[in-house]
Amino acid sequence: MSQVKQPSLSREIKPQKMSWAVYLRRYGTLYLLLVLPVLFFLVFRYYPMQWIALAFKKNNIIQPLWSVPWVGFEWFQKAFQTKAFLNALRNTITLNLMDLVCGFPAPIILALLLNELTFKRFKKVTQTVLYLPHFLSWIIISGLATRLLADNDGLLNLIYKQMTGNSSAVIPFLSNPSYWRWTYIVLGIWKEAGWGTIIYLAALTNISPELYEAAAVDGAGRFRRMWHVTLPGLRPTIITLLIMRMGYILGSEFDRPLAMSNKLVTDVSQLISIYVYEQGIQGLKYSLTTAVGLFQNVVAVIFILATNALAKRMGERGIM
Amino acid sequence: MKRILAILLTLALVASLGITSAFAEDFADGKFTNPQHLTVEVYNRYNDGGTDPTSSVYAQYIKDGMLEKYNIEVEFVSVGRWSEVDDIGNLLAAGQAPDVCVTYSYPTILTYADMGGIVDLNEPLTQYKDELGNLWNLLEDYNIYYDQDPETKALWCVEARLLNNARINTFIREDWLTKLGLDIPKTEEEFENALIAFRDNAETLLGADADKMIPFLTTTDIGWMCNQVINGHVAHDISDETAYVYGYDSRQILYPGAKEGIRTLNKWYNEGLMWKDFALNDSDQADNLIKSGWVGAFGHNYDYPYRNGEDSIQASIQRAAGADAAFVAIEPFTDDAGVPRKFLSDRVDRKCFLPSTCSNVHAALLYLDFISDPEVIKFLQVGQEGIVHEVTEDGAYRLLAMSDEDKAVWIQNSLNNIDHTITANGQYLGDATVASLALGYTPVDPKYITIAYDTAMNEGRVVAKFSVGAIESENEVGSSLDSYRDTWLNQAVVASVEEFDSVYDACQAEYLGMGGQQIIDERAAKLKEVYGVEVPTDLLTK
Repeated sequence: MSQVKQPSLSREIKPQKMSWAVYLRRYGTLYLLLVLPVLFFLVFRYYPMQWIALAFKKNNIIQPLWSVPWVGFEWFQKAFQTKAFLNALRNTITLNLMDLVCGFPAPIILALLLNELTFKRFKKVTQTVLYLPHFLSWIIISGLATRLLADNDGLLNLIYKQMTGNSSAVIPFLSNPSYWRWTYIVLGIWKEAGWGTIIYLAALTNISPELYEAAAVDGAGRFRRMWHVTLPGLRPTIITLLIMRMGYILGSEFDRPLAMSNKLVTDVSQLISIYVYEQGIQGLKYSLTTAVGLFQNVVAVIFILATNALAKRMGERGIM
Repeated sequence: MKRILAILLTLALVASLGITSAFAEDFADGKFTNPQHLTVEVYNRYNDGGTDPTSSVYAQYIKDGMLEKYNIEVEFVSVGRWSEVDDIGNLLAAGQAPDVCVTYSYPTILTYADMGGIVDLNEPLTQYKDELGNLWNLLEDYNIYYDQDPETKALWCVEARLLNNARINTFIREDWLTKLGLDIPKTEEEFENALIAFRDNAETLLGADADKMIPFLTTTDIGWMCNQVINGHVAHDISDETAYVYGYDSRQILYPGAKEGIRTLNKWYNEGLMWKDFALNDSDQADNLIKSGWVGAFGHNYDYPYRNGEDSIQASIQRAAGADAAFVAIEPFTDDAGVPRKFLSDRVDRKCFLPSTCSNVHAALLYLDFISDPEVIKFLQVGQEGIVHEVTEDGAYRLLAMSDEDKAVWIQNSLNNIDHTITANGQYLGDATVASLALGYTPVDPKYITIAYDTAMNEGRVVAKFSVGAIESENEVGSSLDSYRDTWLNQAVVASVEEFDSVYDACQAEYLGMGGQQIIDERAAKLKEVYGVEVPTDLLTK
C-alpha cells in the first residue's frame, strides 16, 4: 500500500526575500506618512527632554545646558521644603482621587444607560446633548458657574433663598472649600462624562448580540444582562482606561483649576499645574519646576506600572 | 620672498586699519554713519478702538525721529501689557527679547541677570553719559542708579521716572450724599454712616434697582482697593526703617496695624455694606457695577473714575443716573494722630533694561535718551495741536474730544501715552504740567481731577529708600506670597465677625511661614548690616 503523503496543516511560510527597491516601492508611501508624526515626536517630545537635566542644575536657561553647573537634588529638596508645593501636592492628590472615584465610573454608567435606550433617534439626540459640554472651554463654564452658583447673585441661591424665605440662606458652592471641591468634581463630570462614553459605546458594539439573546433565553432581565454580559464585555476597555488614568494621579489640568478657583478657596484649589505656572513661568524658577515636573512623571510611571502589573495578576491583558 | 612678505604685511596692516576705522567711524557727529536696526518693546493693551502700538502715528513719530537724529531704524515689538512679565520672560528665555526692554518686575531682571542674560549698564552709562543729557535730566542719578548693587556696583536697569506719585483715593457718590442731605465724610465713622445711609435708602437712590445697591465695593485686590481703610490703622509715627522692614508687600499689608483695617472691612461685609460676591468675580465685573450706577463708594487709582474719556466711570454714571451723578475723592481715614495719611509711591516706575542679546548697546542708550527728550514726550502726550489738544490762555494743554476719524489715528492707548514714554510715567509738559493735569480727562469736569490729585497728595508720605542690595528671599518666595496675599485678605474679610481673628491670624501665619517672615528677617539683617539700625522682626506675631 502506497503511503499517501498528507499535507501538513501548519504550513511553514518561508519569508520572501525582497530587495530594498521593491520594499520601498511597496511600502514607501506608508513610511512617508510616518515622517511627520515621527518628526513631531522627535522635535516636541524627545528633543526637549534634554532639559530634564535642568532639574539637577543651577537655574539658568540662558547659558548652554552643558555649561550650567550641577546642583544634585537641591531643587527636589527645596520643593519638598516649600509649603506651597506641599499644599499643591496634597490638593492634586485629593482632587484627582475624588475625580477618579466619582468621575471614572460616570461615563461607564452613562454608556450603560445609553446602551439600554431602544428608541434610536432619542438615543442619538441624547448622545449629542451629552457631548456638547466637552466643547465648552473651562473659562465659559466657570463664568456659567459663577452666574448660577455664586453665593448671593447666583441663580440657584436666589431660588434657594426664595424657597426657604430666608434672605441670608446660602449654599456656598464656590466660596466654601469643601463645597467647592464637590462643585469642581461635579462640573468636571458634567463636562466630560458624555464625551467619555464614546470609547465605551464603541466597545459595546463588539459584544456579540448572541450573548444577550442567550442570556434572555436563560431568563436574565435587563439588569442581569447588563451585569453579566455588558460589563464583562467592557472590562478590557475599563481596565485599559483605568491604567492610563492612574498615570494621571499627580497630573493636573491647568485651565480647569485656574478658571474655577477663587481667592476664598485657594487653600484647596492650588494644584501642581498652577504652582508650576506661578513658580516657573511667572517666578522664573525653571529648575525648581522642572524638578517638580520630573517628580510628577516618575510617580506617574510608577503608578502605571503598578496598576498594569495588578491588572495582569488579575488575569487582564494590561497595556504593556 | 622678502618682497612678498612685505606686501603681505602691508596688505594686512591696511586691512586692519580699514576694519578698525570702519568701527571707529561708525558713529560720527552724533549719529551712526551706517543705519542701525534696533528693536524696542512696547506694551499692547488691546483696547477696543485702540491703535496698533507698533505702527501708530506716535510709533511712526519715534521711528522718524530716531532715524533722522541717529540713523537708527526702530522696530517695535509688542508685548501684552497685562501679561508682560510672562511674555518678556519667554522672550528672554528664547533669546528673542527686544534690544530695549521694559518691565515692572525687578525680580525678572534680577533672575535673568544672574543667568548672564542682562547687560550691566554701569559701564556703558558712564562711557556714553555725555550723549545722554535728556536721560540724565529726566531720571537724575536717583533713578538711574536706584537699583545699583552697593557692593558690586552692577546696574541691571534704570528706573523710569514716576512724575506723578499720587497713588490711591477713596471715591464716594457726591450726588447720593446731596440727595440724602449728608456732608462729605471726614472720619471713618462718618464714612460708615454714609454707607449705612446708602444701604437703608436704596429705594430712594436706585428706585426699581434698589436690590442692586452696593454701598462699598472692593475687588479681590483688597490691599489696593481698600488701601486707605487699611492705612488709616497704621501708626502715624511708624519709622522709615520699620516701614522698610515690613514693606515688602506693595499694598503695605505687613505694616503693623493693618489687621485693624481689615477688621473694619470684615465688619462692613457682615453688615451688608459691601459687595457680597466680590471674591467670586473679576475686576471687569466690578467696573460694570460701578458704571451701572449701583455703587456708593470704592477705592482705586487716584484718578480711576475719570480715565478713558466717554468710557470713563464718571461719564458712564452720568449717562446712567443723570448729569449730576459724580464720584468725588474723599479722605475720611485718619490715623491715630488724626492725619489722613497716604503712603505715596517713590519716584520710580517701570524698569528699562537691555538683554545681553542687545545688538547695539550704544544705540539702545541713545533710544532711552531720545525717548526722554521733553519735546518728544510732549508730542507723545498731547499729540498734534488742533486735533488732540489746544493750548489755553494760561499755557496749559487741554485734550480735545476728538471726532471718530481723528480718534482712529490719534487715540492714545494709555493715559499720557506711557506705553511709549518708557522712561516717564505722568505728564511731563514743563511749566504747563500742573495746569494741564486736570485738562487731560475730557469730558470729565476738571474740578474732580483737581480734588482727586490734591486729596491723594494731602499728607502723603514716601518711605525712605534703603540701599542694601538685593533681598534674596524676595526672589525666592515672592511670587507665592503675592498670590497668597489676596487669599489671606479675602478670607479674612468674608469670615464671620466672631471668626475674624482666628481666620486672619491663621492666614497671616501661613503667609509668614511661606516666606514672609524670611523676607522680614533678611531685610532687618541687611538694614542692620548697612545702616546699623535695628528693627524688631516679631511685630506681627507678638
